[in-house]
Amino acid sequence: MGLRTKQVIIGLLGLLFLASLVFVQWMEVTRSQQEAGLIAHQVSIPANSKACVDCHRQSSPGIIDHWTGSTHAEKGVGCVECHRAQKEDADGFNHYGELIATVVTPKDCGACHKMETAEFLASHHARAGNILASLDNFLAETVEGARTPFNPHSPTPGRSDINMVNGMASVDVGCKQCHGSKVALEATDGSLITVDELQPDENGKPTNLKMVSMIKKDGNGRPSLAASSWPNTGIGRLNLDGSRGSCSACHSRHDFSPRRARQPENCGKCHLGPDHPQKEIYEESKHGVAFRDLREHMNLDAKDWVLGADYSQAPTCATCHMSGNTRNGGKVTHDPGERLSWTNRPPVSLVMDTDAEGQVVKETDPDKRLGLVKSTWQEKRQEMQNVCTHCHTASYVAAFYKQYDDFVVNYNEKFAKPGQTLITLMKSNELLTKVDFDEELEWTWFYLWHHEGRRARHGASMMAPDYAHWHGMYEVAERFYMELIPQAREIAHHAAENGKLAAAEETLKLIDGILARPEHAWFEAQKQLTDDAEANTFEPAAESAAAGNADAAAEPNEAAEPNPDADLSDKDSDDNSAN
Amino acid sequence: MRGLGDWLYERMPINVAQLRELTNEPVPNHLKRWWFALGGTPAYLFVVQIITGILLAFYYQPAPATAYESVEYITNQAAFGWYLRSLHKWAATLMIAAVILHQMRVYFTGAYRRPRELNWVIGMALLCCTLLTGFTGYSLVFEQLSYWGATVAANISDAVPGIGGFAKQMLLGGDTYNERTLSRFYILHAAVLPTTIVLLVAVHILFIRLHGVTEFEFEDEPQDKPKHFNFFPDHMLTELMIGLVLMIVLSALATLLPATMGPKADPLTTPEVIKPEWFFYVSFRWLKLFSLTFAVISTGFIVAAMFLWPWIDAALRKLTGQQEISVYIGIVATFLLIGLTVWEAVVAH
Repeated sequence: MGLRTKQVIIGLLGLLFLASLVFVQWMEVTRSQQEAGLIAHQVSIPANSKACVDCHRQSSPGIIDHWTGSTHAEKGVGCVECHRAQKEDADGFNHYGELIATVVTPKDCGACHKMETAEFLASHHARAGNILASLDNFLAETVEGARTPFNPHSPTPGRSDINMVNGMASVDVGCKQCHGSKVALEATDGSLITVDELQPDENGKPTNLKMVSMIKKDGNGRPSLAASSWPNTGIGRLNLDGSRGSCSACHSRHDFSPRRARQPENCGKCHLGPDHPQKEIYEESKHGVAFRDLREHMNLDAKDWVLGADYSQAPTCATCHMSGNTRNGGKVTHDPGERLSWTNRPPVSLVMDTDAEGQVVKETDPDKRLGLVKSTWQEKRQEMQNVCTHCHTASYVAAFYKQYDDFVVNYNEKFAKPGQTLITLMKSNELLTKVDFDEELEWTWFYLWHHEGRRARHGASMMAPDYAHWHGMYEVAERFYMELIPQAREIAHHAAENGKLAAAEETLKLIDGILARPEHAWFEAQKQLTDDAEANTFEPAAESAAAGNADAAAEPNEAAEPNPDADLSDKDSDDNSAN
Repeated sequence: MRGLGDWLYERMPINVAQLRELTNEPVPNHLKRWWFALGGTPAYLFVVQIITGILLAFYYQPAPATAYESVEYITNQAAFGWYLRSLHKWAATLMIAAVILHQMRVYFTGAYRRPRELNWVIGMALLCCTLLTGFTGYSLVFEQLSYWGATVAANISDAVPGIGGFAKQMLLGGDTYNERTLSRFYILHAAVLPTTIVLLVAVHILFIRLHGVTEFEFEDEPQDKPKHFNFFPDHMLTELMIGLVLMIVLSALATLLPATMGPKADPLTTPEVIKPEWFFYVSFRWLKLFSLTFAVISTGFIVAAMFLWPWIDAALRKLTGQQEISVYIGIVATFLLIGLTVWEAVVAH
């Protein structure tokens, strides 16, 4: 090979090398842009969704932007794949040549995400729509609004169109947006058509064709979704195809971001507020504090996001209740109840022994329970402890659960069970009306367990001391001693004056019996309640404890002796709290 | 310009003509054939390793608490970090391959024979240094496999008769892998071994210059043609071409198959499958075939035999009268090398 030839080859190779360096530079720039979120990743638009994307890029560009950033877009899952309808579907309509439906249900998502859908359907989340006839529902429908529309009683200046009041507005905007609506189509006769009318078969196809024929459609043949039920992404939504739930409750629609579902703000759409402030409780706990500090390092975009492998800086709601960890083989669950050992939702907390349907077993007979329980609370607790022990020793975790159990049992035994017994007795004795929330005592009891009692228990479960105590048990106690007991006595006294002597006496005796128990002995001890009332404590308790309690009850004055130092220190702590 | 030249010459009295004469070694004709011009490849790659290694060292932190995270930072965050780390990894792989191929070429052409025995020994030392650099470098990543690979290596060195315990102590800086082990590997990888390689390469080239390159004559070579050609510019351009091709291949490998990261080292969890880097597959398989003591002692004998091969070869030739006996042994050894490597590669345990 001549020297000249070599020089030419070297020139060409040099250029090629230069090109390879330019390629490297391009890769680096792309990488840093992607990291900074400046450019989208690879997007693959399926042929049948191309028209949707082109048109909606003009009409609702945000939807397309969200979808473009999703894993769906990367994997070529387009609009039609999720919105596709069958010709039998009640809400299907022809939209520029494609038969689609507006509402995407778990049945649609389950076509690809089978396991996730099955786990979700077994969860309490999927049953969140069962709020009909619940206290919450009565509050919103009747107390806050009205079950039937009513006339406005004076004009609204500037709004001549307001000629009817929708009394269900609070339900539609409040309850249903978390619990889920019963999706409804408008009928030609002005009524609403829901899953109840359509009676879908197991494939989600309506069997009541008469109702299908009554569905009101617009000029383009599109069925009208009733505004009272849609838009709605409540987690227990009752869909027209018979499925329950809404995956977009957590995986926001169109971008379906796993990253977002992993963060506590996502759960905070519903799990906050006076009755179940889990989000605020979490934020107050050391877990939440660590998350706020370290969220940038938590690898939230990781494909699987396994605790112990992808991150271990701090847990989020998802970490403890749903996401995989190295001790469970990285298995994610879409049933957040799988790791709970107590349910703190009802007035009296119950252990999470669940039956074949995933429902909490309420049977009290131990032998009958054995036959009913399919998954024990101990198994569920073990699942949770698998998470805890990534960062805490087993003995630490066991001691935490001892504190938590003791707290829940104290709440149950001291306030919840007595309160529930008292309200039940007064209702059965007709000292309270059958209608809920029409008497002050019912509101008092509701506040006690539904707001303050839950706050206390959730505070204990997630290590937020201020919620366990000041926002919790302190308020439970104040509500119990200062409101529930006096109000119940007052009702009983009135009843006695009005001739309901037996009912009044039974109620007062129960109250005195409750207050005569050792744990209440400090209160009204000077009244010597034990002389004429039965303490009615739980017999199978340890004998020595019972003996000790009996002693305490026998000397109420001594037990109730106020401690001046304690009083002083209480004041100090008040001052500190105020600071 | 002339003034500047005079100024320089006054301070550095080096005669350019003499320097050219000194460096412009007559190159034997066989080096016009590509396969004989690959001896400079490891040197090229070594330079790449020095440059990328210095840049990586700007970020790397040799402590168990930070090592993995610093490599992660290089890979995922530092500008061009992924490219530099991938270049370093691929250049290491290619360098070891190139050293082995170069040694095989020297072996099968008998270029180690008298009077070049000492240069073979230096070459063997270079091979050992290169393998050790590869091993220590892999350990620095502090991922599960590299951690456990190093632990296994330490346990193997423990089995060497006589000096076992001491060798292990020297390697790990203690009885077990501890917080001082990584800094030990780092100093070996980034200072001691590269300096040794540079010195050995200098002596290697000095010997080549003193003895000249072994000359081969091919039958199709015209007899009337001069037997040598100039180093400048002819051979220099050939080397430049090879270097450029190498850089392009390296860049392509780094971009298309960039270096990844395994899980972080966890001293409490032994991985189900422990594998060293590919260039130790052969010795790893050998270890699994025999008892640890036999495998370690036999490996020691094999390495010693390789070092002393020029003299063993001379003795064998004298003894058997077979001039090509080393070629037959070499073929068997090569098959053994490839066979054991492939075997280790395809099985899990």
